[in-house]
Amino acid sequence: MESQRTGHSHGELSIDHYAYGSAMRSWNPSFKIVTAVFFLLCVIAMDSMAVSAVVLFFMALVVMTAGGLSPLRYGKLMAIPLAFILLSSIAIAFDFSMAPGGEYCLSLGFFYIFADRQSLLEAGALVLKAFSAVSCLYLITLTTPMGEIVGFFRKIHVPKLLVELMYMIYRFIFILYDTQRKMAAAARSRLGYHSVRASWYSFGRIFSNLLVVSMRRAGAYYDALESRCYDGDLRFWEEKKKICPLQVLGAAGLAVIVFVVWIYAG
Amino acid sequence: MRETVLEISHLSYLYEGEHEALHDVSVSIGKGEQIAVIGSNGAGKSTFFLNLNGVLTPKEGTISYRGRVIGRNRKDLNWLREHVGIVFQDADSQIIASTVYQEVSFGPMNLGLPREEVKERTDEALRYMDLTDMKDRPPHYLSGGEKKRVSIADILAMKPEVIIFDEPTASLDPVNTLMLEEVLEKLGREGRTLLVSTHDVDFAYRWAERVLVFEGGGILADGDPAEIFRDGEILKKAHLKKPLLLEAAQILSGKGLLKEGEYPRTIEEFKKCF
Repeated sequence: MESQRTGHSHGELSIDHYAYGSAMRSWNPSFKIVTAVFFLLCVIAMDSMAVSAVVLFFMALVVMTAGGLSPLRYGKLMAIPLAFILLSSIAIAFDFSMAPGGEYCLSLGFFYIFADRQSLLEAGALVLKAFSAVSCLYLITLTTPMGEIVGFFRKIHVPKLLVELMYMIYRFIFILYDTQRKMAAAARSRLGYHSVRASWYSFGRIFSNLLVVSMRRAGAYYDALESRCYDGDLRFWEEKKKICPLQVLGAAGLAVIVFVVWIYAG
Repeated sequence: MRETVLEISHLSYLYEGEHEALHDVSVSIGKGEQIAVIGSNGAGKSTFFLNLNGVLTPKEGTISYRGRVIGRNRKDLNWLREHVGIVFQDADSQIIASTVYQEVSFGPMNLGLPREEVKERTDEALRYMDLTDMKDRPPHYLSGGEKKRVSIADILAMKPEVIIFDEPTASLDPVNTLMLEEVLEKLGREGRTLLVSTHDVDFAYRWAERVLVFEGGGILADGDPAEIFRDGEILKKAHLKKPLLLEAAQILSGKGLLKEGEYPRTIEEFKKCF
């Protein structure tokens, strides 16, 4: 189908694409969000490597089995925060000194980089914790379309202004992205990127143009909203998705496992 | 005589700081009429439509729907918008929600209908436009033709009596243009009042039972398509081409091959002439 093809071409917006394709989309969004946030808090508050590992394992398992996301894609998505997490943990694991010290020490001329068992363990725990937290958030974002997440925010009474902004921004990201892509293609076809200078120029022109286009679009949007009796409140139909007892049981079971692990291994 | 649905009298509209976009437009629209609105870009068609729906407020003149003059208060405007719907030219500037279902539900939700009725209307509109299978899809993963269908379902769900299409075939491929024409035929058979702006004179000639020609912010001509398109003066003033089928019929009747005064509107009618 044509629409499927355009879906893939969005590249970095693929998380959105997976969310729509997820087999867990039929799950109640509030249940998914509350559960994921609960385990996220467990990971942060319990501060235990074992808990982090257990949560990471189960979150990944659920998204891949119940959600039907292939391990390869999941791995690629996990690699996105990898560089960031590794860089920051290196800073914790290693230290600089003018004199040799620590259990592992590397001499670099006039100064030393060193680490000891404790700091390495700490860094390892941090990496695990960070990935575990990411896996909780992925459980939400990879299975729940943005519209439903915003719907949840509305339900917990996040201010209306913010909620409606979220709806609008989400819709506009794709429109602007599309417009920008078309303008960039048009610029490229006229050799707009043939040199560094030209590239900067084209880049600037495209963004100023994007502003003009956005303003005009906003006007057209408002007209269209008005013509459908918009009165300042964005109201959409929200499907009532049932919470399946089995899912609740699963979440409760995982919570028990996490607590047991925390008490015995934490 | 048909029952009058919309009555527009001496309507003028001014865009801020610009010349008059509409000047002294008066026209009355009957129930179930199928009207093509033609004229070059900037002739005032879109401005006219936005006035009919209460999005723009006229500088002078009045619009009345079923005898009730529309004031500037929200109640009157919403009443007008409930009964006169616009399908905008650019579907991307109309679609606001993050799934097709939510999008189509937006109008009925705004009408303050009970939940059951919103669901019923949304389902019905989706079925009508053959969108049921993609109701959970986000709009940004739809093709151009699919988006157009969503933007039509948007309006159908509000069940307006008058439906306005602003250049619906612009940027549609032939398959979707055909789909659109079928939808227009179907809506026409159901007795809806339709106003369609278009640059396609062949389409206007074969589909419409009445043509409004806009030129320079006013109505240049209003009447039967065959009559209007035969009038060289009007065509010249409004920069319009003559529909091919009409041209052919005129040539044939000039050579005595077709009866005088016979103007087939479709190829099928044309075939039957021989």
